[in-house]
Amino acid sequence: MRREVVVAEGLVKRYTSYERKGIFRKEKKIVEALKGVSFTVLEGQVFGLLGPNGAGKTTTVKILSTLLIPDAGRASVYGYDVVREARNVRELIGVSLSVEKGFFWKLTGRENLTYFGMLYGLGGSELRNRVDTLLELVGLKELEAEDKLYEEYSLGMKARLSLARALLTDPPVLILDEPTLGLDPPSARMIRELLVELAHKHSKTVFVTTHNMFEAEMICDKVVIIDKGKVVAAGTVSELKRKVSDKVTVNFTFISPRPLRPNALSAGYPLSIDNEERGLPKLRVVVPASEVEDATARILRFLYDNGCSVRKIEVKEPTLEDVFILVTGRGGRK
Amino acid sequence: MRLVTLLKSGVVLDLYYFKNNRASFFGMLVYPYLMLGLILGAGFLFGSAEAFRRNVGLNVDPVLYFIASTVVAMASVSVMWEVGGNVMFLRWLGALPYVLLAPHRMSVVLVVSYIPRYVLFQLIQILEFLPLIMVLHGPIEALYRTAVIIVATMIGMLPLLGFSAIFAAVMLHLEEESNVLNWLNPLILLFSGAFYPVYLLPAWARAVSTMLPTTYTLELARIASLVSMPSMGAYVALFSILLGLTVLYNSLSLVLVGKSEEAVLRRGGIS
Repeated sequence: MRREVVVAEGLVKRYTSYERKGIFRKEKKIVEALKGVSFTVLEGQVFGLLGPNGAGKTTTVKILSTLLIPDAGRASVYGYDVVREARNVRELIGVSLSVEKGFFWKLTGRENLTYFGMLYGLGGSELRNRVDTLLELVGLKELEAEDKLYEEYSLGMKARLSLARALLTDPPVLILDEPTLGLDPPSARMIRELLVELAHKHSKTVFVTTHNMFEAEMICDKVVIIDKGKVVAAGTVSELKRKVSDKVTVNFTFISPRPLRPNALSAGYPLSIDNEERGLPKLRVVVPASEVEDATARILRFLYDNGCSVRKIEVKEPTLEDVFILVTGRGGRK
Repeated sequence: MRLVTLLKSGVVLDLYYFKNNRASFFGMLVYPYLMLGLILGAGFLFGSAEAFRRNVGLNVDPVLYFIASTVVAMASVSVMWEVGGNVMFLRWLGALPYVLLAPHRMSVVLVVSYIPRYVLFQLIQILEFLPLIMVLHGPIEALYRTAVIIVATMIGMLPLLGFSAIFAAVMLHLEEESNVLNWLNPLILLFSGAFYPVYLLPAWARAVSTMLPTTYTLELARIASLVSMPSMGAYVALFSILLGLTVLYNSLSLVLVGKSEEAVLRRGGIS
């Protein structure tokens, strides 16, 4: 049984802003960013908090990082309350709030890490070794960027350095707000792979926010989707996909000596055959997710028995994006 | 132990900064004479050497006082900018949240990590004037006068640190992004008697000046510039007042920065 590391219970946060109405008059506006958000993150898990812009992701991150006090509800890290025991929490977390800022421009990556390491209580050879290890781990050494000034860094390099700072004290929990936002594919991939490795090989608990569904699907063990300050879906990626549909589509592309008819296969599943005049024919079958392997085997045998040679098999299941659109009701152009 | 590391972090930050910005380092070296020249130029523009001599007192060496008060003015501006203005600077960089995540109170981080820079820079800048004072007073007396100015600026810094941290708390609370310090610093110097002797100021301004640490540091500088050797009693009285203000402002800053930090954390003002 894995330990509960991060627990949020009924988090509520309201922001007050003032809108100017004329020269002397200001109107008070209250925006409810979180309306009772709850979730639990287990040890060694990559946990994804998903949501559209303005859903409350950054507010949640700031509360967990002890940088924002909630109006109601509570949150804890390893049992320490993020408000009353903020200092204990700070010793257990590594935080990255933005990939594009937060460092001294006239210092190199190594110098920035050294300074923040000292600020966090590290020193001597321990700090030097840690900085070296981290520069290597996040790939800044490979890019020969460790001794370049921060002002010369690309966004990808800045993101890597931000992750390295979060890891400076080797904390058991990482809290990262959009760690791959705006990055080029190699940098984004490197960071994703590293996060999974940190969680699964080094038992770190990784809390990330993103609105990149592809990324969440790739790296997250558990996902919570929030919208307008409320949790609208929670579970593993496959659990969430089943909310959209428990059906999977399997496409077979094959070479056939003669045209096939759909009723030639009494599989008991809805299927269609597209005997294209140009290109190879395709057989499409929709089956329950739990029967994919069995159905695939049966159809392969059917095609083989009819003298067909299979060239490609594609399994298409609902994506996390489908789930996101379903639960948030935001589907782009209507 | 962590406080020592925090002190070292301040040294390291400055060393890195100057290593990568040599022009800035040379600018720091030239700054005292530029400041001296600027004040001298402005003085001759609006007054005369004779008027200045009369205003600072006939038993005060005007050149020495001029140097000493310049040093105190520079120290005051430096503390206010580096402690009070640092909150603003860190916010601009986006580094403020990461400083807050350090295992220290925010006021401690702001003040402690700045102390090495202050000590180092003040020493460098005061010692730059040593040759000039030696020419005026000979080596032995120059060393004594310089030592007094060094001690005055070091002790004078202690209450000013707390004073600046309170200002940092206000900046944090108000989410102030404009350069309030640009007009606050000259006001502090004016009320402290850096431009005109305090006795020439109106009564209400004199009342304000009694609460400012720089008033007493400037007075120390004036005593160090007396033609005749001053009595120990005068030094002891001024040091006592400065130590009292140290306790007052630093205690207040601990409370106010803590309160301000909490209010900002509640409002969501850390970014």
